[in-house]
Amino acid sequence: MLQKPRSRGRPSSQADRDWGRGGDSRASRSGVAEEAPSTSRGAGGSQEPRSASSQGARRAGASPAAGPRSQKQLELKVAELVQFLLIKDQKKIPIKRSDIVKHVLGDYRDLFPDLLRLAAERLQYVFGYKLVELEPKSSTYILINTLEPVEEDAEVRGDQGTPTTGLLMIVLGLIFMKGNTVKETEVWDFLRRLGVFPTKKHLIFGDPKKLITEDFVRQRYLEYRRIPHTDPVDYELQWGPRTSLETSKMKVLKFVAKVHNQDPKDWPAQYCEALAEEEDRARPQASAPAASS
Amino acid sequence: MFTAKYMHIYSKEDKEQHSFTMQGSTRRTGIMTDVHRRFLQLLMTHGVLEEWDVKRLQKHCYKVHDCNAPVEKLEDFINNINSVLESLYIEIKKGVTEDDGRPIYALVNLATTPISKMASDFAENELDLFRKALELIIDSETGFASSTNILNMVDQLKGKKMRKKEAEQVLQKFVQSRWLTEKEGEFTLHTRAILEMEQHIRETYPDAVKMCNICHSLLIQGQSCETCGIRMHSPCVAKYFKSNAEPRCPNCNDYWPHDIPEVFDPDKDREAGLSKSNRKSLRSRQLL
Ligand SMILES: [Zn+2]
Ligand SMILES: [Zn+2]
Repeated sequence: MLQKPRSRGRPSSQADRDWGRGGDSRASRSGVAEEAPSTSRGAGGSQEPRSASSQGARRAGASPAAGPRSQKQLELKVAELVQFLLIKDQKKIPIKRSDIVKHVLGDYRDLFPDLLRLAAERLQYVFGYKLVELEPKSSTYILINTLEPVEEDAEVRGDQGTPTTGLLMIVLGLIFMKGNTVKETEVWDFLRRLGVFPTKKHLIFGDPKKLITEDFVRQRYLEYRRIPHTDPVDYELQWGPRTSLETSKMKVLKFVAKVHNQDPKDWPAQYCEALAEEEDRARPQASAPAASS
Repeated sequence: MFTAKYMHIYSKEDKEQHSFTMQGSTRRTGIMTDVHRRFLQLLMTHGVLEEWDVKRLQKHCYKVHDCNAPVEKLEDFINNINSVLESLYIEIKKGVTEDDGRPIYALVNLATTPISKMASDFAENELDLFRKALELIIDSETGFASSTNILNMVDQLKGKKMRKKEAEQVLQKFVQSRWLTEKEGEFTLHTRAILEMEQHIRETYPDAVKMCNICHSLLIQGQSCETCGIRMHSPCVAKYFKSNAEPRCPNCNDYWPHDIPEVFDPDKDREAGLSKSNRKSLRSRQLL
């Protein structure tokens, strides 16, 4: 049988630099240095008339190597980092610095801040995604879409948006309306009225208990904590750091208002709180100059 | 608020795009606007789209961001994006389906091999099942591997032991994520996968791959000359023998012994509504 010779006997140190378990990355296979840039591989498939190989050579020759690594090597690293961040973000799981180092950077770990900055620039410029650290000093990152979602996006995509987003918004709304913390029992009392039960498999949400207390928590939309000294044991839910980055109290309040067919101002306390948050957010952004390192 | 550490990232001006990757390159790099960015984001959630849908997507993005600007010709629009994507080893590739020549666009990744890209979605034994299926498809005369033959390989898989029942579900997972397509219990490579894997397949199976005599790209399924054995994609056959009453092999000049398919006509296709169901299936899953 045809069997790939290389995927088996590869030393583990190289395998470690691959993206995943069954990794077979070009870069790690033969060392990036001698490797022609991958764009030159498209010989047969691409309709592009451009000459990628001559370009690669030109690019590498024209720029001085940064330290011991060539421009081309760094460029490839940034490209891999961008793709890694994009793929990880699709699952909405925050990306840890240690995973970036392990799966992408490898021997380039000393350049982590520079490579991450360059990847962030590309993500913002090319895709409109902003790379942000989830919490200060957490070394955990997520991508935030800088483009406002429009309703027709879902139509063009041919779906109704992600169905679980609706449930998430309901829970976020409930938390906010109840003073930013809510007991888990209250959440289920509320959801039961909407036909969502913690223990019953739901047609759209699957296992709602797992979705809310595990998936949304892992994605850092929600915080889920045991309330001390409760018998029987109860837990409480709060907004997670991703929520504050991706949305705002005002947006959630507007969502709640829309569901109730009312005006956000009908809840004066929440409205004031949301307004205060908006003002608070406007301030540091206006005064923070574009620092350049 | 956000940490100050990465504050400088957000406010980078668009002008600075050349700062690192394009140094020394004289090739003109396109300019990205929110129209392009939204287009890329939405294309990314699909992974692959038919041309008709890509045009719809493009119009949608213009409408959202820039009502008055004229919609750029799709080819130029995509070339512009590709010139920016080049430094990231990503490309929007155009291809046609091997069976009916339907034009499609896929966002493909050139920095890592498809198998390593799949590695984040599939377990080791699942990946190995894909490799086995791929080998059967490439080795086959027709470009299809029967599910029975694929399932017979489960005992040889690397990693965790897999039962046939599970393997059937894994094959469906490959279909859903558009690495494979299924026709009456037989599996072949999805066009998107061919676009993404062409180079990988050529390098990994140099002795087994088949090439098209007309377009010289990888051929999984197509027609072949019974005399000299050369192969051609069906859509390439259609174009090559178009309105030719006596088709002959371009290599040995013997009679071409197969039906000559019709050249794909987008207007006719849409009228017939044939693409409707196809488009739906293309849209149903998201994938980078
Ligand atoms: Zn061909
Ligand atoms: Zn012949």
